[in-house]
Amino acid sequence: MEQLKFVGKRLAYLVIMLFGVATLVFILTKLIPGDPTVANLSQRALNDPEVVAAYKAKYGLDQPILVQYVLYIKNLLQFDLGTSIRTSKPVLSELARCYPATIELALFSILIAAVFGILFGVISAIRRNSILDQAVRAVSVTGVSIPSFWFALLVLYFFYYKLHIFPGPGRLDNSFSAPATVTGLYVLDSFLEGNIPKALDALSHLILPGTVLAAFTMGLITRTTRSNLLDVMSMDYIRTARAKGIGKVGLILHHALGNALIPVLTVIGLGLGNLLGGMVLVETIFNWPGVGQFAYESVLSADFPAIIGVALLIALNYMIINTVVDILYGVIDPRVRCQ
Amino acid sequence: MKKRYLAAVLSAVLVMSCTACGGGQDNNASAGGTEESTEGAQSSGSSTVVVAMGSGFATVDPGYVYEKYPPLIVNACYENLFKFYDNDSAPEPCLADSYEFSEDNLTLTVKLKEGITFASGNPMTSADVLFSINRCKNLQGNPSFIADTIESMEAPDEQTIVFHLTQEDSAILSKLTYSALAILDSAVVKENGGTDAEDAATTDTAQAYLDSTSAGSGMYVMTSYIPDEEVVLEKNPNYWGEATNVDKYIIKIQPDSNTQMMTLSTGDIDVALNMTDDTMAELAGAENIGIINGATKTVGFVMMNMKEEYSGPVSNPKVQQAIRKALDYSGFQIICGEGTLTPYSVIQSGFMGSKGERATDYTNLEEAKALLAEAGYADGFDVDLTVSDLDMEGILLTDLAQKVKDDLSQVGINVNIVSQPWAAGYGDAYRDGTLGFTVMYWGTDYNDPNVQLEFLPGAVVGLRAGWSEEMNPELAALYQETMAATDNDARIAVLEQVQDAMYEDGPFIMIAQAPAHIGYNSRLDGVAISDPYALDVTLINIK
Repeated sequence: MEQLKFVGKRLAYLVIMLFGVATLVFILTKLIPGDPTVANLSQRALNDPEVVAAYKAKYGLDQPILVQYVLYIKNLLQFDLGTSIRTSKPVLSELARCYPATIELALFSILIAAVFGILFGVISAIRRNSILDQAVRAVSVTGVSIPSFWFALLVLYFFYYKLHIFPGPGRLDNSFSAPATVTGLYVLDSFLEGNIPKALDALSHLILPGTVLAAFTMGLITRTTRSNLLDVMSMDYIRTARAKGIGKVGLILHHALGNALIPVLTVIGLGLGNLLGGMVLVETIFNWPGVGQFAYESVLSADFPAIIGVALLIALNYMIINTVVDILYGVIDPRVRCQ
Repeated sequence: MKKRYLAAVLSAVLVMSCTACGGGQDNNASAGGTEESTEGAQSSGSSTVVVAMGSGFATVDPGYVYEKYPPLIVNACYENLFKFYDNDSAPEPCLADSYEFSEDNLTLTVKLKEGITFASGNPMTSADVLFSINRCKNLQGNPSFIADTIESMEAPDEQTIVFHLTQEDSAILSKLTYSALAILDSAVVKENGGTDAEDAATTDTAQAYLDSTSAGSGMYVMTSYIPDEEVVLEKNPNYWGEATNVDKYIIKIQPDSNTQMMTLSTGDIDVALNMTDDTMAELAGAENIGIINGATKTVGFVMMNMKEEYSGPVSNPKVQQAIRKALDYSGFQIICGEGTLTPYSVIQSGFMGSKGERATDYTNLEEAKALLAEAGYADGFDVDLTVSDLDMEGILLTDLAQKVKDDLSQVGINVNIVSQPWAAGYGDAYRDGTLGFTVMYWGTDYNDPNVQLEFLPGAVVGLRAGWSEEMNPELAALYQETMAATDNDARIAVLEQVQDAMYEDGPFIMIAQAPAHIGYNSRLDGVAISDPYALDVTLINIK
């Protein structure tokens, strides 16, 4: 019951926050200089008042700002995010088109980051100050500080272009057509289609961009895991457990790791939120048609409905992830549930 | 228990990685060079060609297209009355069989070829032509201007169209080659919400349909379009003409030139349209790769407003000439890359009537200093140069502005570069003619030298530089004279007059024709730079 109340409260916050974000982004898009008419009409068309008038009327840009806002919120309440000025298609369907590509890549990246980040963090903590620890720390610092676009070019150059180990840019090889859309996640949809080679091909295309995107979050997870584990290991109850003769590995896995994972969970949640917002440069280099590229093109075109749509999506991501992380705190540490 | 979980997770990741790597091994195969066939997958056999282009686009509905790349797809799936079969030649009949101008040049009668069918199997008639052109005009979209000189049309029979023009228009045949005036299967488009009525801007709903498939008579049919990802074109089974031996095109959107270079080298793509000097250098000497460096008709120019209130000393014709003399044109060519040209004057090299290139030894700093002294600025002056965030075929305008600054510093003009985003003020100021001194570019709307007439006094771009008709009525009059010259020799003569008049006079300095760098698999024949279509896929064959 308590848990349900907690989730209900979170959902109510979520709606209020989304309304706030929509209003804020709407105001910001109107405040910043940028005219969608100039951004989207050709130099010739801009000289034709009839064409300019027709364009403004089509997208409601000829209405007073207050009327535009009321209309926007009214449509939003009906789950209508408006029409993209750049593509003339509903923003919702545009997001539905490009978001699955981002979700697929983000989930793959966070999986790599979490598994290897925690593993490296544990190894580093167990072998504190050893050469192994130094090496892991060097890797994590590199992961955090390396510019992703440069790393992307580097891995593509070596592992695709020079060594031919991994496939190149894109979501699928040229020999495959896109699977019928069920979830929009190519790996899953290909499995659902029963086409295993295509699913494996889609999976293989995730490796290089996924690794590049995972590098930063993995570095953070490694460092957080290491420092928290070391803190926990110096606590009294660990000393007691050690006195009872429990081995080092058992001590870490059964007694220390659970307590050290709570801050790690926060880092994973933030990392996932960050990845779900799209990564323009990595998406560009890997030819990945995700939400980052869509947002970038929308900004260039002063496509305000699309920009607001992306902002709402990113806000929604963080809110959902934070809610899930809060719930998971309770699962990992029962004391949080009691509070 | 936890140990088992951890082990399971690690094993899963390992298995995933291994299987995935296995999948990746197959990718060394050429995009079209091998018969790679996989269960349930399409085969990219030898008759498939993969093309990479640098950016996505808003639409492929011919009635709305105006961006750089959609003409590649429109030209493959639709046809026009006339077509450019060669980048630098005159338009030739395509769907048209013959044409004739009236004596006063105000009426153009076009006879259609017989036996032409659309991909749907419907026969093409003059009614389809009327529908397509009226639809483009009435949609009031970006390309509607192209039909501005068409006052009305009539179709006396199924094979004849009569165009009544608002004025003499020597470029009308070139305009009829433009993608926006491609001929649509009117029955199919109407079935899917299309209309050519006067209120088409608000009532036509066919764009969604035409973004999902094509409705033309071209060599190919668009079978799939995933925005910002790829377009698939497959051979039109009902094509009336002689088709090439390429059965299928996959057009990939690959914004990064390094990515294009790598995918071309590994054989994942066959044509890379957006290479750069650097990435071309990587391909030098590579086996099975052909390269093309050549000038496009997109031209970068310096604009010096004629109104003193906006440009200060730069409005002085002597100062303008001094700037013209001070610029280092070969330096601009180096910045823009191999294949760049500096046109002689306002008409780009490659266009009918062009006088070619500006002499490489034109720059003369002493003359420039003398001209400044004559104008009363012997010690130079300070001036703002506004520049936008746009790029010209991948060349940042800010780079060109920096070069202008460096060159002018040699003659004592201290340029202060002011950056302003295109959509946040620059576009409005440029259109309103309030920019004093700037570097900008001009992409040709349609492949005809008449597009450059807009730089004349009193015309669209001329007015943006505060250059009104009254300032040079003789030169302004050449606009109409060129429009009236439907005879090519007569038009060339007037165009040469225009170029000579603007060689050392006026508010514009043409600094560089941007280059195109194309890399392609040498198994292909017919790959070439195309200003009207980006790449004319209907001329490509596999050797």
